[in-house]
This record gives sequence, structure tokens and C-alpha cells, in this order.
Amino acid sequence: MSLQRQPVGETPDGLDYDALAELLDGYVLDREQHLNCEAFVIRPDDVAAVLSTLRDRAAFDHLSLVTAQEYRDRYESIYHLKKYDDPTQELSLVVPTPRDQPHSQSGADVFDTAIWHEREAYDLVGIEYDDHPDLRRILLPETWQGHPLSLDYNQDKPQIVPLREHANPMEGRTDVADRSDTMFINIGPHHPATHGVLHLKTVVDGEQVVDIDPDIGYLHRCEEQMCQQSTYRHQIMPYPDRWDYVSAGILNEWAYARAAESLADIDVPVYAQVLRTMSAELCRICAHLLAIGTFALDIYGEFTAIFMYAVTDRERIQNLLEELTGQRLMFNYLRLGGVAWGLPEPRAEYLETVRSVMAEFPDRLEEYHNLLTSNELFQMRVLDTGVLPAETAKSYGATGPVARGSGIDYDLRRDDPYGYYDELDWEVVTDDGGDNFSRALVRLQEMEQSARIVRQCVDVLADWSGEREIQSDVPRTVKPGGEVYRAVEGAKGELGIYIRADGTDTPARFKIRSPAFSNLQTLEVLAEGEYIADMIATLGSLDIVLGEVDR
Amino acid sequence: MTLPTTIEEALPVGGVAAEAVAALAAATVIGTFVMLNTALAGPWAKRKITAAFTDRISVNQFGPLGVGIVVPDAVRLVSKELIVPEGADRPAWDLAPLVLVFSALFAFAVIPMGNGVHLADPAVGLVFVFAIASVASLGLVMAGYASNNKYAFLGGLRAVAQNLAYEIPLILIGISVVLYTGSLQMSEIVATQRETLVSLGPLSVPGWFAIVNPFAFVLFLVANVAEVGRNPFDVPEAPTEIVAGYQTEYSSVYFVLIYLGEFVHIFLGGAIIATIFLGGPAGPVLPGIVWFLLKIWAMFLFTQWLRSAVPRVRIDQLIEIGWKRLLVLAFVNLFATATVVGVLAA
Repeated sequence: MSLQRQPVGETPDGLDYDALAELLDGYVLDREQHLNCEAFVIRPDDVAAVLSTLRDRAAFDHLSLVTAQEYRDRYESIYHLKKYDDPTQELSLVVPTPRDQPHSQSGADVFDTAIWHEREAYDLVGIEYDDHPDLRRILLPETWQGHPLSLDYNQDKPQIVPLREHANPMEGRTDVADRSDTMFINIGPHHPATHGVLHLKTVVDGEQVVDIDPDIGYLHRCEEQMCQQSTYRHQIMPYPDRWDYVSAGILNEWAYARAAESLADIDVPVYAQVLRTMSAELCRICAHLLAIGTFALDIYGEFTAIFMYAVTDRERIQNLLEELTGQRLMFNYLRLGGVAWGLPEPRAEYLETVRSVMAEFPDRLEEYHNLLTSNELFQMRVLDTGVLPAETAKSYGATGPVARGSGIDYDLRRDDPYGYYDELDWEVVTDDGGDNFSRALVRLQEMEQSARIVRQCVDVLADWSGEREIQSDVPRTVKPGGEVYRAVEGAKGELGIYIRADGTDTPARFKIRSPAFSNLQTLEVLAEGEYIADMIATLGSLDIVLGEVDR
Repeated sequence: MTLPTTIEEALPVGGVAAEAVAALAAATVIGTFVMLNTALAGPWAKRKITAAFTDRISVNQFGPLGVGIVVPDAVRLVSKELIVPEGADRPAWDLAPLVLVFSALFAFAVIPMGNGVHLADPAVGLVFVFAIASVASLGLVMAGYASNNKYAFLGGLRAVAQNLAYEIPLILIGISVVLYTGSLQMSEIVATQRETLVSLGPLSVPGWFAIVNPFAFVLFLVANVAEVGRNPFDVPEAPTEIVAGYQTEYSSVYFVLIYLGEFVHIFLGGAIIATIFLGGPAGPVLPGIVWFLLKIWAMFLFTQWLRSAVPRVRIDQLIEIGWKRLLVLAFVNLFATATVVGVLAA
């Protein structure tokens, strides 16, 4: 980035798209209006040039998502750009490619995060990215025939894979040539520390990791396609619970609710926003507790007390959520235009329970600080291991506690306000360390802030004098139009959803931006050169949930 | 007087046959005694202790405090299928669990447990203990290498590196005890510690080596935790990193044997510490064997406590602690003890 120049297009009252179009003069073929921002249509062989111009001159340093989709007459890749300093300044780049020749230039030279996103676009939709460093399938097996989200894909055709293709599916296939002093080892898909079904193709030199290649997709459940076949009003909402399924359900539901509500222009009553905020923060505490607990498990070994403490504390909050939503795992609590139920009766008693759990919570956190962050042996293990510099984190599109642990002050709850957050008094936690320690520390401190938010929400709810409206009037069938990309701050980071509506009651394209997907991509950078033990700790500190990575 | 001699004297006949019968009977008694402790520790005490540390209840259905779980657990463990990995190096793979168990069990032969429960009392008792216990390293290499599994291989390598790094300090600290007692014989080491160190009115403090030289005691405790491979030094198994290390491929009875070997090793570590630092079976009021049991169980509790509360160090940190810190401190301790003993003698 050159000197302290004012980024092009930044004005006191928002983004000046005309200035940006001028900057990209000659590249912009057309300008489209998406609901969240403007979109510039560019030629498929200008992608890298446009992305690097926007990054260097207009400070678009966050490639949030790459969406690919097929129309009757063309393929389209959309690059959703944002700024880490101000995520409300957005710009989409639409790259159409002809149907008979779906070749587009890769953006991987400019943003590292494009490597995986474009692999996914290639895998599911079938767009080929020229100059891509590693264009392989990512979610589906290498042997898969066809691209499932393309229009002419025949879903009934069985996938017949000859036996020879499966002779040894776990075979080497890493960049490192077999040498006598290195060893190839498959860590996962069944392994105590991979937090689900993750397969790490690892080359080790003694105890040190030389090369690592995460192989994902074992938990791919066609979530995007299922959402595309479901109606906006009721059928989609249960699915988000199944992405990040370790207690973060309501946070995920909110991502869909936010995208769909802005698409169909639905208002949410303030009372429902307070309920959403409170329940979402309870979910965040649960998710972070589990993250801390399993991280401790990775470092201490399977008999550590911390994990059980974390599960016990999580249980208390889980009980609160169960009383509120009727469910412990798949909450299905949010609705378009509000929430499903108000507070359980007797209301005052429930609020009192929440209040007392939250009042005890800081003391409980103190215990984790004693056992973890102020434990010298723990510090010896995690300080300066798995260091993620802020610039690398940005290039890989890292968000959430991973980004904040690298000193990136980015939190959509504050920077792109939604819900009831901007009425409340809380802080975004960051730490400059960038190592495994910082990420754990950020999570611990974030739980404290979440508890603060919940306490304030309880006060607001207790003192609520107006009508307790939990849902606005939403038509039985929602048939919106247009394109939108909206994100919320999920447990793992920026959880965004892109929807293209075509006037029917189901989305024409439903694309999920999973924060864990982008965060996991940094593992290749973080782990190489580290000890096996530190690689495992790093994986734990990234806090991935494979349900969200694979979708 | 050792246990075989006691039995032999009680027998109506004498001669070589009686001697053999007595030795066998005594060995059976001591072996059973040690195994009984292990059986209690593995399926029951370990669960109870871990549960107490993590605010849980754990086994409580069979017998008082759930102690009856030992029986169904034993049946469960031995009735499982023995899976032999493809390409395993058979004789070595089968022998490794046996080596692990017997290296630990064998060393109990020279440990004086009080009330005459003492199998043998050779003049080189302490050397014997260390020598036999270190044969376990061989078992670890065999298990790691013969399993034909990369995780087992890594675990085996880690185990050897660790045992090499920690056995030397362990023995050096043992030598400092010998300097003080002037004998390698276990009974002699215990007897020396029985002498009164200082008298405070009616209380007389015994000359336990842990009291005489607490520095050596702490060093030995640390080295011993590494020797038995428990947190913070459980890198050879490190379940979250290398699955289960050298024991990854063992199932059924072989797994039980390896597990047994580990627990006997923990108790052996406790027994060595009790004998050379805590006066062996010495203690007021209660009989010696009870005191001995209390001491080894205290050491067991100590390792389980560490397991619940202390993080595992990384392999390079482990080696560094062993070679760069513990070894140096062990030498310092040795020279300091030698000097003090020399001055006192002069």
C-alpha cells in the first residue's frame, strides 16, 4: 500500500461508486444494483488487475466471498469485496463467462482466500479459473462426475467410481516429493484432535510439519442446494442450525434472517431484536466455551479438568436456551420478522435465572484464566506458536476471534450494526499477539463482553413497558427479487449469505460464506515449520466446526 | 528377613525343593499384591480421582463407591477382539506388552514393603531396580516399531528420547542417596532413614532423605513423572497429537497388558520414591505395610492430579528440560551431597 493516500471513493457519507468506476475506467462494462451495494461487471481476463487496483487504491482489503452461479445464458462469478476498517463499504465484482467456455481469471494472486473459494466454485458450479495455483475439487471427491450446482447436472445419474480410482484414496498427493527423511502421515479423518471429520495430509520431518494440505468435504450435506429448494418463509430457517452446530445455532439463523429480511424488506420489532440479541449472545458464550474446552483438551490431554468445567458451564447456559427456544441443539428460534416465541412464563422468574447465571459468569471465567492464560506451562506451549500476522490474516479473509487475535479490529456487531447491539454498552476485544495464546485470550474476553450484553438485554426486557411484539406482519408467501449479500458476526467470524431471488418463493442461488472455511485456510500458513503438537494446538485455536466448513 | 525365608522356615521340609517352593510362593504373593493395587487403580481409582477433579460422579453402581466395576471391566477388557495390524512384526509385536509389564513387576522384587513383605534383598538392590525398570524402554521401542503404524512409530521414538533424557538424572539422584546411606542394599537404605535426624521435644524427626535433602526429592519427583510418562510429560502417548502413540494398534488383552504395565510403572515409581526418600514402610502407629501402601497411593494420586491440571509440554521442550535443566541440577545435587557427606565423614 502506497503512503497515506486517501483511498479512492471514500467520502464522509459513504462510498462514491462513480469515483470507483472512474478508477476502474476501461474495466467496468456495466454497473448493477445489488441490495447491499453496487456491482461492477468486468471481463473474465481482468479479474486480477481489477482486484489488485481496488485493494491497493481503494482499500478494499477483504475479499469476503466468491459466489459462482449459472444462468441459462452464462456463468457468473461474484467477488464480494469489503473493507476491514469499515465493512459497510462494499463492492461486488460480477464476472460473467460464456456457457460454452466458462474460463475466468483467478483472483488468487491478489487474495489468498480466493484459492479455496474458487476451488469450491469450480467444484460445485464448474467455472474454470485460469492461473489458479491449485484448481482441484475441494468438497466433493476427486472422482466425482459433473458439477452439482450447474443447471444441466443430472442428479439421478449414479456416481460410478471404478475401483482402481479408489485403490488408495489416501495416497500422498502433497507438494512435497517423497524423501527419505520425511514421512507422509494422514491426520484424520478419524483422529482425536481434528474436531470432526477433517483430513490433514501432512508431511513431517521428524516432529516438524513440512507441508500440510487440509482435505475437507467429509461433512458436505448440500446445505446450499437444500436451501435453494426451500421456501423463504419457513423452510430455510431450520437449516442454519446445522451449519455451526455446536451451540451457535441462533447466530447462524440470524445470518439467514438478516439476508432474507433485507431482501424482502421486512421490519423486525425492537422487542424481538432484543430477544434475538440476548439469545444470540448466549449462543456465542456456549460456542466459545466449547472452543476453549476443546483447545485445552488439545494442549493438556484427554483428562483435563478444563474441558469438563467448560461443559458444565455451557450446560447452565444451554438450559437457559432450552427454556427459551424449546430446543438444546437445533434451536430454530428465529423467524423472518422476529422470533418464534417470547420469554417463557413466568417471565420474571426466567429473567432472574438468566441474571443470576450471568452474574456468576465472571467468577467462572476467572477459573479459566487461572488454569489457562495465567498458567506458565500453558504459556510455554502456546505463546509465539501458530503466529498469524495481520496482513496474512486479511489476505486469507480471516474473521472473528482469529482475526481479532491478530489485532484486526473487525466485528460486524459494531462495524455493520444490526439487532440491538448499537444501543448497548460493550467492547470489541482484540489482541496483537496473533498466536495461539491471543486467540484463546480473545475468546475468553469476548465471553465476558457477551455476558455484559446479555445482562443489559435482561434489564431492557425486564423494564419493557410497551407492547411485546415478537413478530412483524410477514406475508405467508415471500417472493422477493434482487441480489443481496449480508453478514452477521457468527461465533467463528463473519457468517454471510448471498441470495439471488428471482421472484419465486425459493432462492435461485443461496450461497453461504462460512467463517470457519476461510479461517481453516490459514492453517497451511500457520502450521508449516511448526511441531506436530503446535499444529494440533493451532488447529484447536482456529476453532473450526466441520459442519460449517463443509456445509 | 525376606518373605521366601519366612515361608521356607514355616515349611516342614527343607532343602532345594523347599527353597524353590518358598520363592515361588513369595513371588506369587508379591505379584498378586502389586496387581491387586493396579486392578484397583486402573478401572476404579483413576476414574474416581479424575471425576473428583472434574466435578463428576463416575462409577458408583457396583459395590461400595462403585469399586465392583473392577470385575465387569476386567471381563470386558479381556473379552474384546484382538486385532492384529497388517504387516506387524509378529514376535516383537507380541512380546512388547509382556516386556512392559514384567520390567515393572520384576523391579518390585527388591522393594521392602514392611512387615517382612520383601522378596529379595541383594546387595545391589537400587541398581537392580533402575536396571530392570529401564528395560521398559526396550518394550516401548518394540511396540512402536513393530506395530507398522506411523503414529505408533512417532510415539515409540518420543518414548525413547524421553526415557533417555530422564533416566540419567533419575539415576544420578539415586546415586546421591547412595552416597548418604553408603549402601545399595534396599534394607540398608530404609534402615539408615530410620535414624533420628533431630528431636523436637517429644517429637523425633526421622532422617528420611526427603527431609534431609528436599532438593533431590523434588528433582526425583519431576524426573519420575517423565519416567512414567504422565502429564506434563505424557508426550509418548499424547492422545490429541499422535492418537495413542506406541499403543495405537494394541487391542484386547495386549492393550490390558500395556495399560497394566503403565500402572505398575506408576506404582513402581511411587515405591522407589517411598523407599529411598520417605523411609520405606516407616511410620508411626500403623503397621509398615499400610504406611507403604499410603505412600505409593499418594504418589499415584499425585500423577493423576498432574494429569487433570497440568498441560503437556512439547517434545522439544521436554528434551530441553531433561538435558539442559534436570541433568545439570542432578549433577549439582550429586556434587553438593558428595561434599556434605565428605565433610561430615571427615
